[in-house]
Amino acid sequence: MNLNYSDEQNMLREQVLKFCETNYAFSDREKILESDDGFSHENWKQFAELGWLAVPFSEDNGGFNFGPIELTVMFEEFGKSLVVEPYLSSVVMSVTILENSNYSGKQALLETIIGGEQHVSVAYAEANIGYNFLDCVTALEGQSDDLTLNGSKTIVLNAANAQKFIVLAKHADSLALVLVDKDAVGLAVQNFKTLDGQTCGELTFENVSLAADAIIATGDEAKALFNQMVEVATLCISAEAVGAMTASYQKTVQYTKEREQFAQPISNFQVLQHRMVDMFIETEITKSLLIKATLQLDSKDLEATKTISALKVQVGKAGKFIGQQAVQLHGGMGVSNEMSIGHYLKRFTVIDSMFGNTQHHINKYATL
Amino acid sequence: MDINFSEQDLQFQEEIRSGLANDFPAHVREKQLKRESLTKVDMIDFHKFLFEKNWAGYNWPVEFGGTGWSPVQIYLFLNELAAAQCPTILPFGLSMVGPVIYTFGNQEQKDRFLPDILQFNTWWCQGYSEPGSGSDLASLKTKAVLEDDHYIVNGAKTWTTLAQNADWIFCLVRTETTQKKQEGISFLLIDMSTPGIEVKPIITIDGDHEVNTVFFTDVKVPADQLIGEEGKGWTYAKFLLAHERFGIAAVPVSKVQIARLKEKTASYNDLDLNKKIAELEIDLMALEFTELRTLAAIAAGGNPGAESSILKIRGTEIQQRLSELFVEAAGQYILPYEGPEGFESNNNPAGPDYASDAVAHYLNFRKTSIYGGSNEIQKNIIAKAILGV
Repeated sequence: MNLNYSDEQNMLREQVLKFCETNYAFSDREKILESDDGFSHENWKQFAELGWLAVPFSEDNGGFNFGPIELTVMFEEFGKSLVVEPYLSSVVMSVTILENSNYSGKQALLETIIGGEQHVSVAYAEANIGYNFLDCVTALEGQSDDLTLNGSKTIVLNAANAQKFIVLAKHADSLALVLVDKDAVGLAVQNFKTLDGQTCGELTFENVSLAADAIIATGDEAKALFNQMVEVATLCISAEAVGAMTASYQKTVQYTKEREQFAQPISNFQVLQHRMVDMFIETEITKSLLIKATLQLDSKDLEATKTISALKVQVGKAGKFIGQQAVQLHGGMGVSNEMSIGHYLKRFTVIDSMFGNTQHHINKYATL
Repeated sequence: MDINFSEQDLQFQEEIRSGLANDFPAHVREKQLKRESLTKVDMIDFHKFLFEKNWAGYNWPVEFGGTGWSPVQIYLFLNELAAAQCPTILPFGLSMVGPVIYTFGNQEQKDRFLPDILQFNTWWCQGYSEPGSGSDLASLKTKAVLEDDHYIVNGAKTWTTLAQNADWIFCLVRTETTQKKQEGISFLLIDMSTPGIEVKPIITIDGDHEVNTVFFTDVKVPADQLIGEEGKGWTYAKFLLAHERFGIAAVPVSKVQIARLKEKTASYNDLDLNKKIAELEIDLMALEFTELRTLAAIAAGGNPGAESSILKIRGTEIQQRLSELFVEAAGQYILPYEGPEGFESNNNPAGPDYASDAVAHYLNFRKTSIYGGSNEIQKNIIAKAILGV
């Protein structure tokens, strides 16, 4: 047993931290959110130049052969500064599916992702299936080169900037993952801002016709690729949450030391001290499950799946507690949109809602 | 990073497991499985068994007769003990006074006390808290006045666990009244058979006699039973508390209890209860890995210090929630109360077999968030040492 990060992993953390310190003051972030695309193309270019877009790729596909540990290191640092660049949707989610697939066109596609030339988003959620993504209604019908896609997908992250979508669809008696170009005839995209200032979209497919080479995977392979993607993505947003928790309790400690009431810093009050200790403990406890889930991920067994659910439960509960208490201890300033602290609460709320919320994962854990 | 235990560690675990399977005293195991209370003799037999296996000094260095095990080995050892339904190792000799003696005692004291602690020839108890000194331990008033080659001790210690069985007590006593209350405290070893000592039982809300008040009236204690320097007792006391961190989270015991709760309630198909159990299991999983992180930090030469307060707080919270779930699961059948003496009638009352034990345990375990530095004190420690407020 060894629970220490390697020198290489520490260097990566240092690099992301430095980037955020230089480019991600809260005022920088506000400007990025006001822009049309909801993220900074300049930052994305830097991500590509720093090699970050290649982090989760295997060496065969031009990557660094890094694994889940490196991803969580990056996301933890992203979480501290509430980074909004679409790394989750454009890199983690699409690459996890493509890399592990037998899709013939994956090499060419992956190259464009690594280079930062194009964004690919995964479309999995629908209006009436909740978190049971595999029960989708969107259907791929027909055979070989005469395929037709009908239905709609919602909450597609970064849809406005994606040149391609990987769509989960019902196919024959099973499922398929298909690649659809944003300009495909019959595809309509409607975009929304998310509650934490990012973007997502709704896709409607009306008799979108696809050739055989649009199919990335079908049947059990598609199911396995999709489930694996959900686990990796869950791990990444959990790491992001741990970073946001760390920042939230540290900012709160700092604020209570500076804020004076009754002629003294409010950090003198024991009731606030103990609340902040609880925030710190929840952060550490979440970090423990994050590391455990990260190290178990590659085993792909039932224990790993249970730990992912356990982690998501803890992330949901701790995020809510820490986010709310951080706002509470900032007093009136906490509910002001001009302060960063409330934006952490928004991010915790979004993270809890994604890939199964707390209640969903308690139920899942109890029945696994 | 690597989550797996090394080949050597797994082999070590196997040795402990088979040692327990072959040699753990059968009469103790049987009572443990039936959850009957253990007698003084049972406890002594269990500790003598540990000594015979060369396991008694599980957290001691080799030079004092200990095992010299690594933090990971200690963790695995305690896990196996709990899984085999062993009673908890009494901490007073092996984890508390023993390490103080081999760290701060003189050679004569080491030779005199350490072998008997390892062999469990002496039963130790702890004289820290006083009727007027709980969380504010340094306010203690029990006085020791040096007269020739003896200290004369007067005062009272309380919440003394199993003092009724003890041969010796280690005490924090005031040898000098100083400006700063932490100074002037000394660490004294006292033979419980010395004239002037009276042990008075305290019956706790579960009806059990576990703790006592120990009164000292002009008790003559030979001066060579002072550990280290006069006035340095507070330093030794703090060292002792830091040394106690192994097993403080009680993860292995809680694991066994969750498994038992699931087994006892499996037929209920109570989704609400099952969800609560799942949440508890998740919290325990997180705590276990937090403990492993602490062990890894120690193994890497670090000193986790105040972070071990997390283990105390979360560990006791989980133990208490678990004890509540047993009571909740048992419902109305907790009413007929067995108490330490057993039911008056020979017939057990209706209801699940765990009901009476569950409620006794629930009441008894309110102590966990109070003892060993209350959870509020632990939060003060984290606030000061880690958050800097």
